[in-house]
Amino acid sequence: MHDIDRRQFVRGAGLAGLAGLAGCTGGGGGDTETATPTPAAPATIGMVYATGGLDDGSFNDQAQQGLQQAKEEFGVASDRSQPSEVSQFKNFQQQFAQSTDPNYDLVCCIGFLQTDALKETADSFSDQQFMIVDSVVDQGNVASYVFKEHEGSYLGGVLAGMVTQMEFAAGGGESDPDSANVGFVGGVESSLIKKFEAGYLAGVASVDSGIETQSTYTGSFSDPQAGKEAALSMYNNGADVVYHAAGNTGTGVFQAAQSEGRFAIGVDRQQSITRSSYADVILGSMVKRVDTAVFNAIESVVNDSFQGGSTVTLGLANDGVQLAYGDQLGGELPDDVKSEITAAREGIVGGDISVPTEP
Amino acid sequence: MTDDGDEGGDGEVVVDRDEQPTLTTDGGAPATADDEQSATASYVTRWLSDAGIAEYLGVLVVAVFLVVVAVGVVAPSSAPGQFVAILFSKGTLAATLRRTVPIAFAALGGIFAEKSGVINIGLEGLLIISAFGAAAIAQVTGSVWIGLVGGVLASTLLALLFAVACIEFRADQIIAGLAIWLIALGLAPFASVVIYGSKNTPTIDTFDRITIPVLAELPFFGALFDNSPDVYLLFVAVIGSWWVLNRTRFGRWVRASGENPDALDTAGVDVSRVRYAAVSLSGVLAGLGGAALSISLRGFTGNGPTMVNGRGFIAIVAYLFGNYDPVGALLSTMLFTSLTQLQLELQASGVLSIPGPVVRTIPFVTVIVVLALFGKTRIPAAAGDHFESGEE
Repeated sequence: MHDIDRRQFVRGAGLAGLAGLAGCTGGGGGDTETATPTPAAPATIGMVYATGGLDDGSFNDQAQQGLQQAKEEFGVASDRSQPSEVSQFKNFQQQFAQSTDPNYDLVCCIGFLQTDALKETADSFSDQQFMIVDSVVDQGNVASYVFKEHEGSYLGGVLAGMVTQMEFAAGGGESDPDSANVGFVGGVESSLIKKFEAGYLAGVASVDSGIETQSTYTGSFSDPQAGKEAALSMYNNGADVVYHAAGNTGTGVFQAAQSEGRFAIGVDRQQSITRSSYADVILGSMVKRVDTAVFNAIESVVNDSFQGGSTVTLGLANDGVQLAYGDQLGGELPDDVKSEITAAREGIVGGDISVPTEP
Repeated sequence: MTDDGDEGGDGEVVVDRDEQPTLTTDGGAPATADDEQSATASYVTRWLSDAGIAEYLGVLVVAVFLVVVAVGVVAPSSAPGQFVAILFSKGTLAATLRRTVPIAFAALGGIFAEKSGVINIGLEGLLIISAFGAAAIAQVTGSVWIGLVGGVLASTLLALLFAVACIEFRADQIIAGLAIWLIALGLAPFASVVIYGSKNTPTIDTFDRITIPVLAELPFFGALFDNSPDVYLLFVAVIGSWWVLNRTRFGRWVRASGENPDALDTAGVDVSRVRYAAVSLSGVLAGLGGAALSISLRGFTGNGPTMVNGRGFIAIVAYLFGNYDPVGALLSTMLFTSLTQLQLELQASGVLSIPGPVVRTIPFVTVIVVLALFGKTRIPAAAGDHFESGEE
């Protein structure tokens, strides 16, 4: 009796498996979408997104925004792939590089985790043009785009330092005038995230070197509970403002701010809009314009001015990074805070202030 | 430990028959009834003669710890003083409890499943599916309590699927468990994208905090009485699980089913039904943990390893470490979560002048050391084995 059941089960499972396989034939684990380009398109772009995939509400969506802009302005065609693991990067990069129908004019690699894969791919496909965001690949056919996150974070530090020293209440938070204390919550500790920390701490110190700071790394970009507990302990120890560079872990930081009635600063995108339920505690966000990098690279290909081997650094000067004031709280920030931040921005752009990249 | 406990309480005759073969199959264990009585009498002298490296190291660690605490109390502004202040702060204990909830619930679930002979390695998947289910249903209905029930249902259904695969179709328990994890890891973010267009659900309400007056004002232990309901629910579940496992007929069936299913079968109890019940119960318990996680964080996060982020696997370590005892599992979970919280706070305070990456390994290193030195895990004899009744 058991044997019959089992056989039926195995057969059922086999059928289900076949159906599943049939559904996967296009992708093979990741998801590749192929669109036949219109003949009029000036260029065809292949996008290899970072592992978070589209709809991550930050990095990849920002990159896609740059592509959209290029589509509207130049009418470029594009295909995309969304690897779900680091090991798939090379495969997807090579698929685009090998393809002759369509022939991709530019392959955009989003995220520093693609560096190693691209080094190999760019070597084997020397005729193909590539661009990479957040990392430098020193090859003649790769244009690298990196950001000065520390510059934008410095402005975040100035904002936090000013707010913790004054008596400020707005939205769902207030600062304690008796304590001058701010915090930083990072995701996975790496030289990239350390740039955020270093810039932020330098900004805080520029307001007053006596302000106490607390920094911690949770070791994950997708652990909101860890972010919440880290930030709660900082607020309990007197922090008025906590800045995060921790992806989804940062959602927990906003929750902690809301439950303690303190403030937070977001990262990558304008988080008072993308995480609107916490808009009443988000003073501002350090916005990283990945879309600018993607758009500029596509523009250079369309204009036949693509510069392989070059490294473009996007900082405050060319609006590659910005401090965007909170959607809800920005209007309530006193003018002297804003003028101080504007002054710091001018100082950095003008070269009077040099921001460290290591804490 | 608890095995010895119910040797004295032999109220039920039928069950003791089940229990008997258990002890004989496992002849190596020194815990017979006579032995135990003499052990309590001259424990200290016996310890001194039996003590190996592990025990001496343990005493050394405790001694160092006490010295640090003593120095800290005497000189509050010194580094040990700051350390002690963090260690014994209300905030640290409260954070530890909140972090303990999902892991300990999953560990309780794992105990029931494995005690009955089904190794449930899919706890991570049960946490993921219940975290998403609870957030989605709380979002739709607007009630966190209905969300909690929904999360538990989702997890129980997935656990039943696992039970059917393992018990009815005799699938390999480890493979099926991994499948449960992978199914949930793919399904929950996918469902979220279908419903909400994003891997993260929108923000939902959360539990109201329940503060017990007077007791919540206590210096350190006050944190035990000022929590959201899920923490209290965990305390109840730990005590309840211990009681069910050690003091009820069902608990004895579960243990017999994992130790000696043939004896249970001979006694006229349907082993498969006991295992179905135990695995479903593991789904309910893990579901409470996952639902509490997403509700307390006001939504489900589905990027990467999802917001569960390995807690289900930590739970497996926790209950093995606790030697399948619910209270032991709670304590070992708390050891891990308190160290995790402590390392975050130590990083932030900058008390320790060692690099952050080293500080972050403290919980893992400590747990491995403690496990290696003091861990005494006895896996149920029939865990992982399929059972076929001779009747059919």
